[in-house]
Amino acid sequence: MAGAAVPVVHQEYNYDIVKKFAIAAIVWAVAGMGAGVYIASELAWPFLNFDIEYITFGRLRPVHTSGVIFGFGGNALFATSYYVVQRTCQARLPSDAAANFTFWGWNIAILLGGISYMLGYSQGREYAEPEWPIDLLITVVWVTYLWLYVETLRRRSQPHIYVANWFYLGFILATALLHIFNNLAMPVSLTGMKSYSLFAGVQDAMTQWWYGHNAVGFFLTAAFLGMMYYFVPKQAGRPIYSYRLSIVHFWALVFLYMWVGTHHLHWTAIPDWTSSLAATFSIVLLMPSWGGMINGVMTLSGAWDKLRSDPIMLFMITALSFYGMSTFEGPMMSLKSVNALSHYTDWTVGHVHSGALGWVAMISFGSLYHMIPRLYNTTIYSVRLIYVHFFLATIGIVLYIVAMWVSGIGQGLMLRAFDDYGNLAYTFVESVAFMHWPLATRALGGGIFLTGMLIMAYNIYKTIALARREEVAREAAEAAKLAQA
Amino acid sequence: MSNADNRNSKGVETTGHVWDGDLQEYNNPPPMWWTWAFYGTIVFALIYWLLYPTWPIGKDFTKGMFNNITFVNDKGEEVTTHWNMRALFLKDQQTGEQAVKQREYLDKIAKSSYAEIMQDPDKMAFVNSMAKVLFADNCGPCHGRGADGVIGLYPNLRDDDWLWGGTIEDIEQTIRKGRNGYMPSFAGVFPKEKLEAVAAYVLSLSGIEGEDKAKIEEGKHIFQGEEGGCYYCHAKDAKGMKSQGSANLADKVWTIANVPAAATYEQKLAEVEKVIVNGVNREMPAWEGRLSDTQIRLLTVYVHQLGGGK
Repeated sequence: MAGAAVPVVHQEYNYDIVKKFAIAAIVWAVAGMGAGVYIASELAWPFLNFDIEYITFGRLRPVHTSGVIFGFGGNALFATSYYVVQRTCQARLPSDAAANFTFWGWNIAILLGGISYMLGYSQGREYAEPEWPIDLLITVVWVTYLWLYVETLRRRSQPHIYVANWFYLGFILATALLHIFNNLAMPVSLTGMKSYSLFAGVQDAMTQWWYGHNAVGFFLTAAFLGMMYYFVPKQAGRPIYSYRLSIVHFWALVFLYMWVGTHHLHWTAIPDWTSSLAATFSIVLLMPSWGGMINGVMTLSGAWDKLRSDPIMLFMITALSFYGMSTFEGPMMSLKSVNALSHYTDWTVGHVHSGALGWVAMISFGSLYHMIPRLYNTTIYSVRLIYVHFFLATIGIVLYIVAMWVSGIGQGLMLRAFDDYGNLAYTFVESVAFMHWPLATRALGGGIFLTGMLIMAYNIYKTIALARREEVAREAAEAAKLAQA
Repeated sequence: MSNADNRNSKGVETTGHVWDGDLQEYNNPPPMWWTWAFYGTIVFALIYWLLYPTWPIGKDFTKGMFNNITFVNDKGEEVTTHWNMRALFLKDQQTGEQAVKQREYLDKIAKSSYAEIMQDPDKMAFVNSMAKVLFADNCGPCHGRGADGVIGLYPNLRDDDWLWGGTIEDIEQTIRKGRNGYMPSFAGVFPKEKLEAVAAYVLSLSGIEGEDKAKIEEGKHIFQGEEGGCYYCHAKDAKGMKSQGSANLADKVWTIANVPAAATYEQKLAEVEKVIVNGVNREMPAWEGRLSDTQIRLLTVYVHQLGGGK
């Protein structure tokens, strides 16, 4: 469908770097989700901590989050953004060496991060746990990424910049800003890992959640919308529904996201006005977020028949549905009254995973299934296995989210329940005991999702192995033809 | 609706740009409902901004209107202020439905003596309701939320044995000031045979006797004499001393050595020997200052009735 009409021959694009990042994404997905299933099991069955400090929940949890967000998500974004920017600009990345540096630098940083968390090094800033030496490496990698991206855009042979690139570029710029400011810190010594943040108290908390929520907004939302804007119309073979909507929702989204981080700190020692601003901007953010969903769904809507024959489309439409659901749930949870119930409970965890598994992972799976066979100039090894992956992933997510709703809302209600005397009706530990079965169900849901991921890894492995064999056969056939001539 | 146009692609034009061979964009306007819902959320925000503190202005901020909170400050004066979290919390503590119900009882408890509380079923029902949660949240981490304790570590509060005394006054003192249970380690003091002899004697005090009566006699000699000096704290009758928190060894209750769980006589001996060698050093923190006087009183009554206080 796409291959025939491409005006530039493949060899002119740097596909090698895209392949590396795509494979790394799958490797990290297996590792990061594996860690996730393990820590989920630790919560349900605490003996799994085994009193080994390196694998206790507290140390493994950032290994999981870094592994899936930056390992899986980050590598998938590098892969797809390098693929998309080259193809939509009809220009090759300006430097293979710089591109390779981003690959090795990024992956080594995540690996070092994971090892350092297990050894006990952490800044204690959620999603920004690496200590300063690793942060510096990430900064250099990221600036290189920005340069590569902008330079490719500058070299484009198209007058207009395709919408997917706005989102990718917005993500790269914002992430640079967020990473640098949130990690401003003074190392205790140049030979040690420990550092102290430049911020203190309320400012520190607000800087962290300015970072934390925009990591969600730009890394996990805007960037994956970039992915969506390329791969959904490609897979559906249809134009994007609305150019105007894409402009309006892009600018509204990037403008509004920057304000809302403080909703992670409702009912704490922050000034009231910061809380109100964050809550209201979160509500106003709802429709700009949905703009992307509408554009995606309406683009697919001319091709509903493909849902019957194309499991990649199933991944994409499901991703958009979860995206719509979690971007509705988010603004609701950022209202102070709802937050009073949901905060500090598993409801938050469920919300994050409906976005992370439902949106981020599903759109990435769809995009990778679309992209990888094209990179290797072949077809997927097994379409049936994509279906199996899709159904396992969907069942896993549903179990996961429902379990977290039960656990989170249940615990929230228990902690605010009063008896006839106006006393608290439940002890804290009773609410923990209540959570056991939801937590066990969550671990099961995560395990099912991970099983789907393993099937994907197998399917991709076979696809690449097959492609290598086809390549050899093709070369042999050509050599034979030449010999005959 | 414009959506219908897009579905059959008639009448709606693309922007004319083509990327990567076949990527195009229609130029549909955003759906009407989307636009209006977007405006709706902005109106919601505007109203919210009018009602609540929102926008910073220099070092100050907009306070919000029609949304004042009245509460009583710590000088007893009635204060009316713009909406803010602290005032909302104080007001809820003062006039909230649950707080009012709870305070009614808390006042009664504060004015009653222990005897009055324990004789009044209504007050006791309140004690059991509130202290159950207080106990599980504060004392439960060590004693267990059912107060069963952990043998070898934390005392069981449900049995009839009180190391530091089981009267209401003793229990209040324990909660208020904490306790420090100490027995010196006898590691290296006795050779193995003497250690065994003391353990055999200790076991015999609660009726667990082995074959070797001579050994028990030898143990008694060490225990009751200057060689061991155990009786300094455990007393001649081995029933312990409240002032020391020393254990009564003549009853069948064990808090450190897990004698009941040991199957054979030899294992029971080993359990007791372990305590003699290791000694005991355990601390209960003081709760005065961490819990209010009323909370301590509630817990005192609660703990007293758990184990059938003296």
